[in-house]
Amino acid sequence: MTNNVIKREEFGDVAVLHIATTSVDAISAAAIEASCTAMRSITVLDFADVAFINSGGISALLKFVVTARKSGYKLFAMNVSPHHQKIFKIVEMSRFMPTIEERDLAAYR
Amino acid sequence: MERVLVNIPSNPVFERVVRASADEIGHAIGLRPERIEDLKLAVSEAVNNAIEHGNRRQTTKLVEVVFALDPEKLEVRIRDEGEGVERTDFSRRVVEEHNLESGMHRGFGMYLISALVDDCEVSSSNQGTIMILRLYRKETNDD
Repeated sequence: MTNNVIKREEFGDVAVLHIATTSVDAISAAAIEASCTAMRSITVLDFADVAFINSGGISALLKFVVTARKSGYKLFAMNVSPHHQKIFKIVEMSRFMPTIEERDLAAYR
Repeated sequence: MERVLVNIPSNPVFERVVRASADEIGHAIGLRPERIEDLKLAVSEAVNNAIEHGNRRQTTKLVEVVFALDPEKLEVRIRDEGEGVERTDFSRRVVEEHNLESGMHRGFGMYLISALVDDCEVSSSNQGTIMILRLYRKETNDD
């Protein structure tokens, strides 16, 4: 499932879920979580358009972590700003959703 | 001292109004961009806490946010109209495997606040809870 908040791109085993909202917070959380069903064996969350993430948003992102672990999927984050990398490090989210560079996806396209 | 007052009903959508105010004030007083992001996130967490746990989303109850500026610091006071809390837990809270498995995906807000501001304090009574966040304008080399 995708919606106005998540734009999905798929190639091979890879699903890239582009987060199309600037705020990953309690307001956008439900729409973001709903896109867990759009995951594939390699799933990349693209934060290029994201300007703000709070704990409500982190809770939504953790649903992807849980789904990935249950399904044996690999989950990555892409285009994460330095500030959000800091936040992910503070709550140790980065252990469960490492960042990758966009160029690393080229091999799958 | 200069003060900016923002009152919002206890609807999470209006947290974004307070966050936008924090952004403007951070720029106005010349905080570094990284510090502005820290301020916005800390204020967001405190306001959401006041909406959810203080006022329990009763939209007739207000969350009052006062930004107080002096040459030394920016102080943000967030007050709800709830029944008060026994204690506020700022202890370290991170994503852990056993929490993922048990579905515990919340509770990072207070720890984030403590990690992002220079100091914070909470006082609570049956008249409501007040959280005060402070960011000092003279930054140390550690920032």
